[in-house]
Amino acid sequence: MEFLSHDILIIGGGLAGLRAAIEAKKSGRDVAILSKVHPLRSHSVAAQGGINAALGNGPAPSKDTWKNHSFDTIKGSDYLADQDAVEVMCREATERVVEMEHWGTLFSRTEDGKIAQRPFGGAGFPRACYAADRTGHSLLHTLYEQVIGLQIPVYEEWVALSLVVDKGRCAGVLGLHFFNGELIPIQAKAVILATGGYGRTYLRSTNAVINTGRGCFLAYQAGVPLEDMEFVQFHPTSLFGTNILITEGARGEGGYLINAKGERFMERYAPHLMELGPRDIVARGAQTEIDQGRGFEGGYVSLDLRHLGREKILDRLPGIRQIAMDFAGMDPILKPIPIQPAQHYSMGGIPTNVDGETQLPGLLAAGECACVSVHGANRLGGNSLLEALVFGERTGRKAAEQVDKVREIPHNTAFQNHLRGFQIGLEEIFERKTEEPSYLIRDEMKTLMASQVGIFRNEPALLSAKEKIKELKKRFLKIGLKQKDLAFNHEAIQYWDLEGMLHLAEAIVEGALARKESRGSHFRVDFPNRDDEHWLRHTLASKTPEGAKLDYKEVTITSYPPKERTY
Amino acid sequence: MKPNLLTLRIQRFHPDHDPPQWIETFQVEIRKGMNLLEALLYIQDEQDGTLSFRYSCRGAVCGSCAMRVNGKDVLACRTHVEDLLEEPVLIEPLPLFPVIRDLIVDLSVFFDHYRKIEPYLQGKPVSPHVEYLMEEQKRKEIDPYINCILCGICFGTCPAFEKDSAFLGPAMLAKAYRFLADPRDRRNDEILKPVNTQQGVWGCKTVFNCVKVCPKEVPPTHGIVKMRGRILRYRLVSIVSRLSSLFSHSNSI
Repeated sequence: MEFLSHDILIIGGGLAGLRAAIEAKKSGRDVAILSKVHPLRSHSVAAQGGINAALGNGPAPSKDTWKNHSFDTIKGSDYLADQDAVEVMCREATERVVEMEHWGTLFSRTEDGKIAQRPFGGAGFPRACYAADRTGHSLLHTLYEQVIGLQIPVYEEWVALSLVVDKGRCAGVLGLHFFNGELIPIQAKAVILATGGYGRTYLRSTNAVINTGRGCFLAYQAGVPLEDMEFVQFHPTSLFGTNILITEGARGEGGYLINAKGERFMERYAPHLMELGPRDIVARGAQTEIDQGRGFEGGYVSLDLRHLGREKILDRLPGIRQIAMDFAGMDPILKPIPIQPAQHYSMGGIPTNVDGETQLPGLLAAGECACVSVHGANRLGGNSLLEALVFGERTGRKAAEQVDKVREIPHNTAFQNHLRGFQIGLEEIFERKTEEPSYLIRDEMKTLMASQVGIFRNEPALLSAKEKIKELKKRFLKIGLKQKDLAFNHEAIQYWDLEGMLHLAEAIVEGALARKESRGSHFRVDFPNRDDEHWLRHTLASKTPEGAKLDYKEVTITSYPPKERTY
Repeated sequence: MKPNLLTLRIQRFHPDHDPPQWIETFQVEIRKGMNLLEALLYIQDEQDGTLSFRYSCRGAVCGSCAMRVNGKDVLACRTHVEDLLEEPVLIEPLPLFPVIRDLIVDLSVFFDHYRKIEPYLQGKPVSPHVEYLMEEQKRKEIDPYINCILCGICFGTCPAFEKDSAFLGPAMLAKAYRFLADPRDRRNDEILKPVNTQQGVWGCKTVFNCVKVCPKEVPPTHGIVKMRGRILRYRLVSIVSRLSSLFSHSNSI
């Protein structure tokens, strides 16, 4: 049996994964990254508007502080975030952002040459540091450059199929080399999951096609419960039709949201902050306008940037101008951009502490696939890139520490048994004769999630979604694979991705059905108010043969007792 | 032919197939606003699960889906199929790279060249707590070169790379220029060393193909010309200083 081994194996080559790799590598450990795409193709590259840090580079006398940032984040989370974790993130934000600048990220500049900051939704200060509107691109390329400098090996276009757990400890993964179809166990003293979100469980999503929540499912399958899965963020401004992201920065720079009657409709939903309300509120506002017939024909509203003028658009928002021209055939300098809300971010994920540790020894997680929880029920724009960097760094550091304590290296038989078990399962799938292709089930699931488990939820819809997911899971178990060779086997990848997404969808639906309140992104029409007495707690969903089983845990409150949330 | 039926002739490659390379025709019913990547994904789902190509962001920022369409190198995701309805479309892998499977090419040489230019900022000393100060004007000057998504399209139409695969290539030379132009990088002219060769800036034919085809409007040739200028200036300065030292030396005799 061919066998690979590293001190630390990181699954995923986006911002969190690369930052963790750099930190672990700098501590002298043997580190490798495994990614199903080349790291530069990771979804972090698509982030546009900015990364939050209380640098205080805005115009005087407004002096921003990390405490302001913490408060905005906690309020934005509708008080579901763990406040100790938020404080860690906001305190370390400046250091992480300045470090990226030192490594070469080409941030936009203020008149005095400092990193420029723009206003973002739900933020009391201009706090989002930006590189025009290609911040994620600039950050990801910078980190990858560092990875090249440190000569960290990357298993490119490999897929992690399962976690190998031996004697209560994560001992590595079973990897698939996609180009030659070989199944190769990779042993590691610490495994870090940094695989991003599960946005593609939804029909309309701003996410890359690859965002199937693989890492969340790997952990779930290995017995780690998933936290707060029902909190799914919908971004108010995705390009109508393709749902490509149009950054919040467009509103940060002063863009207006307009309905078909020509009204700036946010007046109805967030009279003070208007277009710069937090995403959950703005998304509900836009969807309400569309649902109540004040949208444009086809079901969209518009984002008007024309008053910003050509120069500002070209200078600050060149990327979204190019997107609008490439994908909607229109120029935002001349016409308003047609937009609609779409799934954007997964607040839920693998529960970790502030050092990325999960409940399974040897397994850590960082970035969107993790739930620390710093976003609670609604993430603020500019905090996801930050989370990836802050907790990527901390997780890489912690993994390096853990490596020294691992004395016992699991016997090869653990990997051999795991591999054999996997192959037996595979044979069984190969023998199935059902002709139903997996894409039909996938598309039904995505449509279901968007229509029944979307921005507005209610009990009958969630109950029917629950039944439907059960049905889809049954149909899924009959799917066979025609192509037996695992090299370039898209059918098999689709199969495994779908398996994972069905389970994640089930956890989302169960969490949403049980949570009889409205908080942040989770809005129950039948329970429109927040209910702190019963629901100020995190959901934990565990995988059982009967489906997702729910449990709950306390929210950590430090300095900010829950208050009514108005904007 | 129905007006909404798109015919795609796709070049396939599989080492075990006889012959290993062949053309296969697919038909896709198109929707308004559909792009080529969506059409390919549709084929993979519903017609042939073995069709291989790369994809990720579907928004022209990740650089995965570069391929040749009717002789032009493009990103599939930003290619509208409505523009392709006129005639049968020929889709081929990005040229000049070895094909691994169907439309997937081996970009190893591309990223080997990337490593050769040491593509990471080597910063001047600075306090760890504050950012370098940089004028916005300076950022704007570098910005066009930062937009590169390393998709490989510029290599496909580069005559210098076609002639010699050791040629560093437009994207990498643009990257080198990006660090040269960056006031934070302490290397200054050290950056020019790996590019001051026939496989570097001197190999470029200055035909601007890369500038024309870049989906992100990166202008590699402009960077190359600027680097040549810098190198020539240094040569001139060094010749002048050598001459003048000779001159002063002979004077002192």
